Amino acid sequence: MPPPGHALSGETPLRVLVADDIAASREEIGVLVRQFGHSVLLATGGRDALDVAAREEPDVVLLDLLMPDLDGFEVARELRRRVTDRWLPVVVTSSLQGDEHFIEALSCGADDCLARPVTPALLEAKLRHYQRVLGLQSRAAALAQRQQAIIDHIGDAIVTVDAAGRITEFNRAAAALFNAGPDDALTGALLVERLGIDPRRLPETTEAVVRDGAGNELTMTVSAATWQLNRQPYTTLALHDLTQERQLQRMKDEFLGAVSHELRTPLTSIRGAVGLLDSGVVGALPAAAKELVEVAGRNSERLSRLIDDVLDITKLEAGVTLHLQTAQLADLVAEAVAAIDGYAKGAGVRVEVSSLAAGEVQVDIDRFLQIMANLLSNAVKHSSSGQVVTISSRGSPEGWMVAVSDQGPGIDPRFRSRLFEKFAQADSSDRRALGGTGLGLYISRALVERMGGRILVESEPGKGSTFTVLLPARGPRAQWLLCVARDRQRLDQLGMAGAPRPGRDGDRPAGRRGPGGAARPGAGDRCRSAGPGPGRRVLPRAPVHRPYRGARG
Amino acid sequence: MDARGWSRCCSHSRMNVSGQPGVELSEVDGLKRVMCVEDDADIRLVLEFSLARLGGYEVCVCASGLEALERAPAFAPELVLLDVMMPGMTGPQTLERLRELPVMQGVPVVFLTAKAMQRDMEDILQHGATGVIVKPFDPVTLPKDILVYWEHGRGR
Repeated sequence: MPPPGHALSGETPLRVLVADDIAASREEIGVLVRQFGHSVLLATGGRDALDVAAREEPDVVLLDLLMPDLDGFEVARELRRRVTDRWLPVVVTSSLQGDEHFIEALSCGADDCLARPVTPALLEAKLRHYQRVLGLQSRAAALAQRQQAIIDHIGDAIVTVDAAGRITEFNRAAAALFNAGPDDALTGALLVERLGIDPRRLPETTEAVVRDGAGNELTMTVSAATWQLNRQPYTTLALHDLTQERQLQRMKDEFLGAVSHELRTPLTSIRGAVGLLDSGVVGALPAAAKELVEVAGRNSERLSRLIDDVLDITKLEAGVTLHLQTAQLADLVAEAVAAIDGYAKGAGVRVEVSSLAAGEVQVDIDRFLQIMANLLSNAVKHSSSGQVVTISSRGSPEGWMVAVSDQGPGIDPRFRSRLFEKFAQADSSDRRALGGTGLGLYISRALVERMGGRILVESEPGKGSTFTVLLPARGPRAQWLLCVARDRQRLDQLGMAGAPRPGRDGDRPAGRRGPGGAARPGAGDRCRSAGPGPGRRVLPRAPVHRPYRGARG
Repeated sequence: MDARGWSRCCSHSRMNVSGQPGVELSEVDGLKRVMCVEDDADIRLVLEFSLARLGGYEVCVCASGLEALERAPAFAPELVLLDVMMPGMTGPQTLERLRELPVMQGVPVVFLTAKAMQRDMEDILQHGATGVIVKPFDPVTLPKDILVYWEHGRGR
């Protein structure tokens, strides 16, 4: 987009009013002005000059000083009085000797003077000078106009106050916020009286309760910028109304809560009834019936996980709030391993911890454990009985690395690009067999990215896979590296002693056993179920029990 | 409150546990009377099967907070499982009223909730519950799971 006013800068010809009562000298100057590429308006005397100026709005006036009806001094004075919305350069011309009359003309409001007979080159230079100044001026005016238009059309209220907190400028949204009537003198009013906020007491950006002109209290984000004009400090405030956003957020939360409740309530009955049937509490089932009950149990578990995951994703995509806490990395890894232990044992897979780095990290603990549970359970799920999954971590100046490796079959290269997509699984029969939701890696990546990091994956079919995650470490500035490696080569590259384990694609484990023997956290889990759930928090005095989510992702 | 009181009011909930594959009674270790408050009839049935038939507890199943308030004095529960979202009196409201009963002093109360939002959990636990069990729960392990809360919250 060209800058506003561009057309007026540079070469735009001027419209020059030439006022002279003597036809010959009027023509002489007119010819010169045309030669220099400008257009000419002619006036035959002082009064005519004022008429033409009013009618034609010239850019520059060349004014003879001695005219019978109204002399140049009077015309200059009158033009200065009449033309107030713009700058109209007035150049007086005269053949009189001495400077006194020029000085007099300038004091009457003329801008410049030119002796007769006119030197053509001097006239050309002067006109070029006015052409440039006027070009710059209209460009500045257009910019200011554009900015005013933008500021006026912004939905947020913008107000400028002086050092005393008095309003000096405001946009339309601010006027609406003030609820000002047409005769209401806002300029000069104290902002604290109008909105109940004192700009001098506000930090740069804050949330404040603003009282609008109608007396409503609105929660707003207030951003303040302080600047100076003629050594006087001013503060410009931008006020963004959060009321509607808050309301939408609340409605969304309520809806999610209702969906969660309405889906889980019938599922609780189904899951419970099937589980009790399978447990044999009402009598032993025939083998075929047991098989069918197990199908129902397995799938109600899967549905339960899908509900959890879909709700989780909805929250993630809406922008989840992370609760960053400082924690020992080793403790987190130990907890993640403890959480997966039952599931791994059930699958005949051993989980080993090697080269655990000591150090503090700043993470959302629940979310971190959720990521680890996803990656670890994937590793276990894609391992065969007797194989080993290894987790290790390492610190570096930039951050920390954690690696998980397994001895699974690795990831099909054709599947690699879709690995982190929603409902991405290598094949549907795999999904049925392993009971995942196809959402685990998608959620993991979303969480990692939300924490300012990323996940990378490397894999070779038959040899293993590597998941690498980069996350902010201590505070948002530092970064730390979490690496879930699935093969020894990668671990070696990363300089980590780790056992070799190939891998596979990703999801979390089918919930442990069938309906009758669903996994539950051990006693150690009761204060914080290690398997991350959307709402899992550290609540030492108030345990949260989630039998079905206990050790999964 | 004598033992006959609760057996009278909750006799329909007692089931024969003999010969059932349930929790070994040695593990139950003292916890006997469990009250469940749940508005969903099917879930009530699951709770009753799980805790009475499988777990061998004396169970008093109530369909509303009001019913729980009426029956708690006679039943004298040692642990209460309380649904959070119920029409009429909600779980937290019920808990507040239950706590006013002399018989409920120091009795652990565990919320049952199908809501898993973090803020929900925190709100729920503000109300002085010993813990939360998230639905869907496992009816097979529930008899054992509640012992954790009983031991944890007993006498507090």
